[in-house]
Amino acid sequence: MPESLLTEFIGAAKSVGLNYGFLASVSERTSWLRGVVVTIELSVLSILCSLIVGTVIASLLTSGRPWLARPARAFVEVLRNTPTLVQIYCAFFVCHMLVNQSVGAQNNPMSAYAWVVIVFSIHFGAYHAEALRAGIEAVPKAMRESAISLGFSRRELLVFVELPLAFRFALPSLVNNLADLVKATSLGSAIAVGELTYASLMIWIERDNVLEMMILILLVYGALTLSVSRLGFLLEKRLRMPGYGH
Amino acid sequence: MDTEQAMTLKTPWNAPSIPPIVYWALGVVLAWTALAHFYRESMMILWQWVPHLASGLRMNVLFSVLAIAIGTLLGAVVGALELSRSRRISLPAQWYVQFFRNAPILVLIFFATYVFPFEIRIGTMYLSFPDWIKATLGLALPAGAHIAEIFRGAILSITSAQWEAAASLGFSRSQTLRWVILPQCVKRVLPPWMNLYAMITMSTTLASLVGVRELLESAKNASNTVNRTDFTVLIYLAVLTLFFLYCYPITRFTARLERKYVFH
Repeated sequence: MPESLLTEFIGAAKSVGLNYGFLASVSERTSWLRGVVVTIELSVLSILCSLIVGTVIASLLTSGRPWLARPARAFVEVLRNTPTLVQIYCAFFVCHMLVNQSVGAQNNPMSAYAWVVIVFSIHFGAYHAEALRAGIEAVPKAMRESAISLGFSRRELLVFVELPLAFRFALPSLVNNLADLVKATSLGSAIAVGELTYASLMIWIERDNVLEMMILILLVYGALTLSVSRLGFLLEKRLRMPGYGH
Repeated sequence: MDTEQAMTLKTPWNAPSIPPIVYWALGVVLAWTALAHFYRESMMILWQWVPHLASGLRMNVLFSVLAIAIGTLLGAVVGALELSRSRRISLPAQWYVQFFRNAPILVLIFFATYVFPFEIRIGTMYLSFPDWIKATLGLALPAGAHIAEIFRGAILSITSAQWEAAASLGFSRSQTLRWVILPQCVKRVLPPWMNLYAMITMSTTLASLVGVRELLESAKNASNTVNRTDFTVLIYLAVLTLFFLYCYPITRFTARLERKYVFH
């Protein structure tokens, strides 16, 4: 961004009583922008991993084998009925500590960032799994019967028939979950992952401009959730199959 | 045989149906008995911290009840405004809902805590505005937005024939809403409302990040004070278990209500 435009913006903001002075300092500006980048990175990584986890759990849930479905169901229920923050603490303060103790703190390959990605992947994976399970159960019986009569094995039935359809059926709620995931990345600040909320927190501690930073944060999250739901909508339109869905 | 099993996703189960909640209760009791057996010493310390944790949990419950109460009042009003025929009324209501549904709750709690004044002056009286009330408001505002959407959806789900029939009987629009539509909405609103309550309850832990002494904060204190590995494991597991025991029955009950009302 050209420097002159920036100073103009800071001046304009000042005239209405908003202190965006931090944008003038290169180091603060870059650290804040770094926070935005980390938030986007964290979201994209967690979105991909959570979709994989969700698909796996959904396949277990609908496998029809109690010894697979029951533990998967228990896993989903625990993840859906406990606070995300408690899960993050359990990962970082309990699991991280246990890993530290077993291999030594210097050799620990895990970081707060990695734990947050893991927690988000399984937490939102559980939510995706519920949506996908409903989607799999909504696959028309005739569809399943014809696939079986064509000699599809159970795995082929799942991969080529049930999951593609379930994904389409579940897309609206998956996109909803993903927007929630993007918003939840703000929880990373609780264990000092340098994402947007944390970076802004550092700035408002220094400059005492909470309101100004809040406006910026909300704008960024708003833009991110909006783009997730737009992408979801486009995907929905692209994947639409005549005769299925609305 | 294999394929047949794949086709029936929900196998009719002939064994006497034991509600899952019983399995869960058993599982929790068993797991904690095992933990008590293996970590006897830490378990004794945990027992001493129970009053501390209980006062934290009381805070979470108080929080969630207050937030959902304020949110419901707010949501009922905003939801009705959203359906207003005048765009000047419905648009701001829609903005409110859009804004608060798209903002992370943690950010809203930070917002409420740091931006709201710490006391309000009413005439000559100063009314202090403690952090936990501010955090409650930070939770109630998004709750209101979600509830407005729930109400709006429920009101729209009532067939227009009901409105027309009421109009032909001489009811005004607001009378129809109050005496004909809303009573039918209660049933449809209840399950999502309870889901939201569970969500709000889980979000109350975020208040620990602005220094409110609720369950998670108490647990963190205890773990830092005692400073023992096995105690830390136990206390965070205890927090996880407590939240599960509080929220799981709510979700089960909600699912049952949903199944019950699905054909209406």
